[in-house]
Amino acid sequence: MEYANLRRQAASLKRSLFDQGYLDEQFCQVEDLQDEASPNFAEEVVSLFFKDSARLVSNIEQAMEKYPGDFNRWDAHMQQLKGSCFSIGASKMNNECTLFRNSCGEENAEGCRRSFQKVKREHAILRQKLESYFQLLRQAGPARTATRSGGK
Amino acid sequence: MTSYVEGSPVKALIVDDSAVETMVLTAMLRKFHCEITTAKNGKEAVQMFLEGKKFDIIFREKDMPVMSGPEAIEKIRALGEIHVKIVGVSVGDNAQEAFMRVGADEFLPKPMKLDVVGAIIQEIIKKKKKNNDTVQA
Repeated sequence: MEYANLRRQAASLKRSLFDQGYLDEQFCQVEDLQDEASPNFAEEVVSLFFKDSARLVSNIEQAMEKYPGDFNRWDAHMQQLKGSCFSIGASKMNNECTLFRNSCGEENAEGCRRSFQKVKREHAILRQKLESYFQLLRQAGPARTATRSGGK
Repeated sequence: MTSYVEGSPVKALIVDDSAVETMVLTAMLRKFHCEITTAKNGKEAVQMFLEGKKFDIIFREKDMPVMSGPEAIEKIRALGEIHVKIVGVSVGDNAQEAFMRVGADEFLPKPMKLDVVGAIIQEIIKKKKKNNDTVQA
């Protein structure tokens, strides 16, 4: 019963992440890559994403400080982060990355700074939400199949 | 969706400086029993060919440090590697043109989809089987 309840909570949290635009279909693609050989693949990828994206965010921050007005450099760094966002379906973060890149194209430093703050905010929010999601899944344990129909 | 043909597995080379993207594509290719090698930039990839390594397919990101995807493709084709299928991948604008201009066979926008990757791998499996059957005949 507890397992079913935790699974329901996780499913509900995941649904809300999609409804609120934090995640898109690509996240389902990542979860679909899980199998018996890699039962925690999605969590491993997401964990790698947050480790990697923290580094990329730091790189962007340093580039904006050390190379003011070097929009090509800022853009190149953000493109890397955007690629990672695409890979796990981090939709809201991806959108903010796009806005940053648009500001780079317009050579709008203030626009870049504003967008970058939003990128960092969305990064933090997504991290917290996905950590909650995977914690629920871990607590629920591996998916169980029913032994007889209607049984719980 | 996955299918398996007896014989040597498809040898795939992933050239991408993003660990996340490499991890996801690796998992996709494993579904099709591919033998997977990875490189972080074009220079590493070219070096593999210079060392005599052979691949059936290369997935190459466009923008990478040290050597870009298109530059590496030019060098690999110049080594006479005309049979290896080269798939350019990118989130960037104008990437498709940059890849096709230097001899890539196909371009996939990121994020890659399992069914799209699968169709490409199945095509290579069929081609390898056909080549094997021709040799044995």
